[in-house]
Amino acid sequence: MNLEKRGKLDKLFAAGRPAKTATGPVEYGFETRLLARIRAERERSPWAEAVWRLIPAFAAIVVALGVWNFAGRNGDSTNLHTAITGHADTSLLVSTLTGD
Amino acid sequence: MSAQTDDPTDERLIQDALTGDDEAFTALVRRHKGKVFGIASRYARNDHDLDDLAQEVFIRAYRKLDKFRGDAPFEHWLSRIAVRSCYDFLRKTRPEKQNVSLDSMNMTLTDIAADKPVSTHEVREILDFALNHLSAKDRLVITLLELEEKSVREVAELTGWGEANVKVRAFRARKALEKVLRIYHEP
Repeated sequence: MNLEKRGKLDKLFAAGRPAKTATGPVEYGFETRLLARIRAERERSPWAEAVWRLIPAFAAIVVALGVWNFAGRNGDSTNLHTAITGHADTSLLVSTLTGD
Repeated sequence: MSAQTDDPTDERLIQDALTGDDEAFTALVRRHKGKVFGIASRYARNDHDLDDLAQEVFIRAYRKLDKFRGDAPFEHWLSRIAVRSCYDFLRKTRPEKQNVSLDSMNMTLTDIAADKPVSTHEVREILDFALNHLSAKDRLVITLLELEEKSVREVAELTGWGEANVKVRAFRARKALEKVLRIYHEP
């Protein structure tokens, strides 16, 4: 490693150590804001919490059901379509041949 | 009034907070917020981030308070939570685009190299600019090792990474920083 560059980097770090953001204005009233957030979180019912946590699972189930239903319906409709058209063709053939 | 009543220990405050005493938890926050703000201020981009980050640290501490075993000081336990929250923050947030004047950056870097006095604001700006080019892990390691002057062992404890991992990452992070500075500052 280039020693000159290493020295430069070390000097930058040394100069940067005291360069901290003034936190005083943000610290003002911090406990009050924090406690309000904690209380709001605590007051949320455990059921609501559980429901929120289960939302991704519910969403996955809905998507899976949708996909399954769509795939199933497509499969069924193809079969049904084949059956109906097959049956229609047969009946058409029968009616044509028998004259009924 | 006894000194014990005036100044309860962290363990006492934790016990009280666990029974639902909000005042006890507030006292803990008041006692340790300086440390948390000190850690978070190295990573927050602005006051809003800083407030959010500090709140996140204490909320996590509050949720895990019953897991504090007391085999290490509360401050160490809280610092670990703070460092991990900062790491999560770095992973989630994209660095802000900074409008740093390359001329002024060059001048400041030249002054630093020549041991001339420079304003802390300018140094902070250059450091933020350079560190924003690093990954979250690299930035965390460099900040803890070089700016907070923690030892490798301390960084390993704070982050939960192995010491060898910290050393390798620090070496790579320094290389990456040198590269960034070389691009923007050629003597």
